[in-house]
Amino acid sequence: MNRGVLLLLWGWIVIWSVYSGRLDLLLRGVFHSLVGASGVALILAGIVVFHRSIGRRERTPFTWLAGAVVALLVLAIPPNPSFSDLASTRPEGLPEPPDLAFVLPPEQRTLTEWVRLLRAQPDPDLVEGNPVNISGFVLKRQDEPPQIARLTVRCCLADATPAGLPVAWPDDANPKTNDWLSIQGRMAVETRQGVRTAVVVPETITSIPRPERPLEP
Amino acid sequence: MNTDRLATAWAIFQGLLLESLPFLLLGVLIAGLARWLVPQGAWIDRLPKNPVLAPITGALMGFALPACECGNVPVARRLLASGAPLGTAFGFLFAAPVLNPIVLASTWAAFPDQRWLLLARPFGAFLLAVLLSLLLTQLSETQLLERALLSERRMSQPLSNLGLLDRSSGLIGTPLDSKAATTPQRVSLGGVVDQSSREFLDLLALLVLGCVIAALVQTWLPRSWLLAVGSAPTLSILALMVLAIVVSVCSSVDAFLALGFAAQVTPGALLAFLLLGPVVDLKLAGLFTVLLTPKAIAITATAASLGVLLIGQWVNLWQL
Repeated sequence: MNRGVLLLLWGWIVIWSVYSGRLDLLLRGVFHSLVGASGVALILAGIVVFHRSIGRRERTPFTWLAGAVVALLVLAIPPNPSFSDLASTRPEGLPEPPDLAFVLPPEQRTLTEWVRLLRAQPDPDLVEGNPVNISGFVLKRQDEPPQIARLTVRCCLADATPAGLPVAWPDDANPKTNDWLSIQGRMAVETRQGVRTAVVVPETITSIPRPERPLEP
Repeated sequence: MNTDRLATAWAIFQGLLLESLPFLLLGVLIAGLARWLVPQGAWIDRLPKNPVLAPITGALMGFALPACECGNVPVARRLLASGAPLGTAFGFLFAAPVLNPIVLASTWAAFPDQRWLLLARPFGAFLLAVLLSLLLTQLSETQLLERALLSERRMSQPLSNLGLLDRSSGLIGTPLDSKAATTPQRVSLGGVVDQSSREFLDLLALLVLGCVIAALVQTWLPRSWLLAVGSAPTLSILALMVLAIVVSVCSSVDAFLALGFAAQVTPGALLAFLLLGPVVDLKLAGLFTVLLTPKAIAITATAASLGVLLIGQWVNLWQL
């Protein structure tokens, strides 16, 4: 296969990944423009090399062809990670506590901001009764009741770390692993395994599709 | 097989690949530009050949290339192919992924309150690079360098630099035309794009392989196992060294990743994670095959691991 065509193929895959929104599932936002720029550079290099190689015959090493097959697979099979499965192999992270979580009104805090706040200020009584308006996926860990969770990412999915909140599920709720839910309710304090813990008491639970940008920094 | 887990591994693979690819391209671009702008041999000849000064110079060159380890491999290869002293190229290869402005800034951003780490990381990387460089240069070039790179390097070296046994071709006894071998030649921009594109595709195939291995190991090896031993002085260092090898994220962002478990592990283990990843990881294993022989890669991995373990132990004795 022509070397220029291979470069164009890789460039196309990179640019496609940016414009199709796939990167939102894979990488932290700050890297998106860098990835896009590399796609443009590959397309330009591909055009130059293609132009120079017209009429010339060149051997294509097996490794390049294998790379091209992987490139086509990347294009054909979009990423569809199981967030719950990913989270189950990782310990809960300790996202740095920014001051923002204390400043925002409770109903505007995201799930990750709630987790940060509760880690930085572990006294659950301080948040009792606060309104909660969050969304996340259902995370089931072994021997634990299901939580509502998000993945925080500093670089790419490889370093995704789960941040979960305990929920006092109503009797009729049947949370299924990996389902995305939007929950409105209030914070309450419960004693779980002998520890006073802040838990979300839902007033409404709505099933939602996976958000376009499911990863949080 | 659990399809959920397979889908997760596939997504991690894509994440690793797309995050590393720009850095690899940046490295190939810089290596190509260096070849175009600076005639071969003009500045390479001025690099020190002293076994101690050479790796120090190479390590300090990292400031000129703010890229992670994926970007450094093509530049180090270009240095070696152009006939640079081995010590300089190895010093650059092993220290530059840490000793560059972006990585130092990201470490500072992640750990502003741990000043010892801001000094210990670059110093440790520097020490490790000098150690590895001194060790590897004990081997002959034939034992050390990958075959294609060795041939390329010999084309840019005067014949007088090679022993008789090293000369695989040519007539022994013919007058040495050392000038012809080192005369700087201007390469056309088109020629640079041509060669760089070959280099990029070669390295990309190896990067893909490394990312596949890293994604598979990462998906099936629960990280909680590694962090469960976080507070034991020696075990925590070993566990975090394994984690650094498995996770394979670029050095420009690994400090933010380390932040996620900094509170759960010993200080020596934290430093070990930040030192070993840029030198040895699964993603790099493939890339190194364009530079070094399997024997040299094995020596690098073993010596780097032992060096990092010792540095980590020393830090734990001092900090705990």
